Amino acid sequence: MAKPQKQIMSRGIQRHEDISGYSFMLPSLIFFIGFVVAPMIICILMSLTDANMQGNALLGNFIGLENFIRLGQDPVFREALWNTFLIVIVSVPATCIFSLWVSSRIYQMNSFSRSFYRIVFYLPVVTGSVAVTAVWKWMFDNYSGVFNTILNGMGAEGINWLGDPRYALWCIILILFTTSVGQPIVLYVSALGNVDKSLIEAAEVDGANNFQVFWSVKWPQIMPTTLYILVITTINSFQCFALIQLLTQGSSGTNTVMYHIYYTAFKLTEVNGHFGYANAMGVVLAIAIGVLSAIQFKLAKEK
Amino acid sequence: MKRRIALMMAGLMTLSLTACGTKPADNTPPAADSGQSKQDTELSLWTYPVGQWGDQATVDKLMADFKAETGITVNVEYLAYKDGDDKINTAITAKNTPDLVLEGPERLVANWGAKGYMVDLSDMLDEEDKQEIMPEALAACTTEDGKVYEYPLVMTAHSMAVNLDAFKEAGADQYLDLETRTWTTENFFKAVSALEAKFGKNIAAVYCGGQGGDQGTRALINNLYGGTFTNPEHSAYTWDQPENVQAITELLGTKGINFDAAIVGGDEIANFYKGIFKMAFCWNIQQQLNPNNANGEPGKTVNGEEIAFMAFPTASGDPKLQGGIWGFGIFDNGDAAKIEAAKTFIKYMADSAHTVDAVKTATFFPVRSAAEGTDLTNVWSDNPIMGDYQVLMPYLGDYYQVTKGWSQARTSWWTMLQKIGQGADITSTVKTYNDEANAAAK
Repeated sequence: MAKPQKQIMSRGIQRHEDISGYSFMLPSLIFFIGFVVAPMIICILMSLTDANMQGNALLGNFIGLENFIRLGQDPVFREALWNTFLIVIVSVPATCIFSLWVSSRIYQMNSFSRSFYRIVFYLPVVTGSVAVTAVWKWMFDNYSGVFNTILNGMGAEGINWLGDPRYALWCIILILFTTSVGQPIVLYVSALGNVDKSLIEAAEVDGANNFQVFWSVKWPQIMPTTLYILVITTINSFQCFALIQLLTQGSSGTNTVMYHIYYTAFKLTEVNGHFGYANAMGVVLAIAIGVLSAIQFKLAKEK
Repeated sequence: MKRRIALMMAGLMTLSLTACGTKPADNTPPAADSGQSKQDTELSLWTYPVGQWGDQATVDKLMADFKAETGITVNVEYLAYKDGDDKINTAITAKNTPDLVLEGPERLVANWGAKGYMVDLSDMLDEEDKQEIMPEALAACTTEDGKVYEYPLVMTAHSMAVNLDAFKEAGADQYLDLETRTWTTENFFKAVSALEAKFGKNIAAVYCGGQGGDQGTRALINNLYGGTFTNPEHSAYTWDQPENVQAITELLGTKGINFDAAIVGGDEIANFYKGIFKMAFCWNIQQQLNPNNANGEPGKTVNGEEIAFMAFPTASGDPKLQGGIWGFGIFDNGDAAKIEAAKTFIKYMADSAHTVDAVKTATFFPVRSAAEGTDLTNVWSDNPIMGDYQVLMPYLGDYYQVTKGWSQARTSWWTMLQKIGQGADITSTVKTYNDEANAAAK
C-alpha cells in the first residue's frame, strides 16, 4: 500500500509549500484583517464606551455594559428590533419558497425560456436599488400613485401606503421580496439542473409520485444551495437599510435596527455617547444574525 | 489546531457579511504645509447648496475673481443637505476638515462651534460692522460668551405659499392680505374650509415623514395661536405650551389638512407645484423664484396657476417667521497662515465691494445694510420678485435653531406629529416628545 504523499514530502518542501500558500493568501488576509476583523473588534470595544467619534470624546470612556442595558430600555430600539425580525420572518421563507417554486417550474424549460425567466427575475437585482425604489415610491404615492389611482378608479378610498403604519412595513417587505428573489432563482435553477437524473428515474420506476421525488431525491441534493440562500437572504433582510432610507426614513413604523444604527451614529450627533450606543446596536444585530445563521446550519445539518 | 483556526476564520468571514459597509466620505485631502505666502495658499471651501453657492459654474467665477485679486486658490466641494453633515462629521473625526464652510448658525455655532472646532471670528467685526449687520443675524452667529463662529452673509424668512388661482376659484382669496402678506388664524381655517368644499380633501399637509422642511410645520403650529418652540434664552424646548397644543388640535380636526407621515417638505412642495395641494408650508424665496426647482415659470405652478407667498397665519396679526441665516465659518486646523487666508476670503465675500456678487449668488437677502461703503439695501432692485418678498423680512422671528440638543429636538418633533396623526392623545404625546427634546438640551 502506497504511503500518503504528505508523509513522503520532505520537511523542506512542505515548508516551501506552506510559505507559498500563505504568500498567496497574504493580500486577501491583510485586507480581511484590516477592513473586516479590525473594524469588528473596534465596534465591539466601542460598544462598551460613550464614544462620540469627535474631539475629546473620540473614543469615549469605558462604561461597561451600560449601552446594552440602555438598549433594553429603549422603546425605539425595541420597535426597530421587532420590525427587523418581522421582515426576516416574513421575507426569508417567502423568498426561499417562491424562488424554489419558480425554479422548479422553469428549470426544465428549453434554454431560451429558462434564460428569459432568469433575466426577468434577476433584473431587479442588477437594477440600482435607488432606481427601483424611486419607481416603487411613485407607485405607492398617496396623491398620484398608481395603486391609489386604481383604487380611486374603482370608487375606493386611497391608502397612504407609506404613511400608515398598518401598511408601510408590508410595502417595504414587498419591495425587498421583489429585489431578493432573483439570485435564489438563478441558484436554484442551477442546483435543480445538477440533480442526478438517474436517481429521479429510479424513484419514478419505483412508483414515487412528484412530491415524493421532490422531497426524497431533489430536496436533499439541493440542500447546500438552500442553506446558502437561507443565510444570505437572512443577512440581507436583517441589513435592510437602503429601502428604509429612500422610502420612509424610518417613519410610519418602518424603523429597523440597521437604519436606527445609522441614524443614531450619524444624525443624533449631539446626543452624548451616540457612537458607542450605535456600536452596541451593531453588536446586538451581529449576534442576532450569528445565532439565526447557526440555527439554520444546525437544522440543515440534521436534515 | 489548524481545524480550529480554519473554523475561526470561517466564522469571522460569516460575521463579516453582517458588517455594514458605509461608503467613505469623499473628503478633500488635508491642507499642505504652513508658512506659505498668500500667492501659494490653497484653501478648501465646503459649501451647502445655499442658492447658487451650490452651482459650480457660478461659484467658479467667484473663486476666479477672488484669486485674481488675492492670489489665493479656493478649492470648492459641494455638499448636499442629505449627507453634508455626515461628510463634515467624518472629516472632523479624520481631522481633515475643510478650511472654510458655508452654512447656518445651527451647524457652525451651535454644533461645531460649541464643540470647539471653529475659529472665533469676533476680531473681524469692528463697531462699523456691528452697526451694519442686522442685530438678530449677528446674535444668532454669536455664542453666549461672545464668540463669533459664523460671519453672516445672507438671510431670508421661511414662509408658506398658496395657490392664488385656486383660492380665487373657491372664493378664499378674501381671507388673504396680499399687501402685507399676512392673514389671521380664523381666516386661515375659513380658507381651508372653502377650498375643501371646492376641491376635496387634499388642501394641505402637515408633513412629518422626516425632518426635511420641518421649519414649515414648526412655524405653522407656533404662529397659529402664538406658541413658541423654545424659550427666549434657548435653553429649553417649549412646544408643549397650550397654544401649540391648541394649534395641533385644530389642524388635526380640520378637513382638508392631512397629517402625512409619508412625505417631507420636498414632497409637499412637489405636490403643491403639481396643483394637488393648494397650500405649502415649506416655502422660501428660492421656491418663489423657481418653484419645485423645476426651472419653470417663476411664481407659477406647473399648470400656470399663480403662487402667492404668505406669512404664517396668526391670531395676533404679528407673525414670527423662522429665519434662515447663512455665512462662513473657519475650521480650526491649527495653521495660522491658512486661518489668515480664510479670513481674507470671508472679508472679500461678506464685507467688501464684492459682497453684492456673493449675496446675489446666494439668492437671499444681505444681512447688512452696507459693506465697506457699498450700499446693500437695494441689491435686489432689479428683481421684482425679490423686492416683493422683502416685505416678509420684518417678520423675522427668534433664531432658536441654536438651542442645545437640536438634532434630537427635530427628530422628536416629526415623530410627535406622526404619532398624533396616527391617533395618539395630543396633550400627552406633545409633552412626551417635548420632554425628550429637553432631555437632550441638558
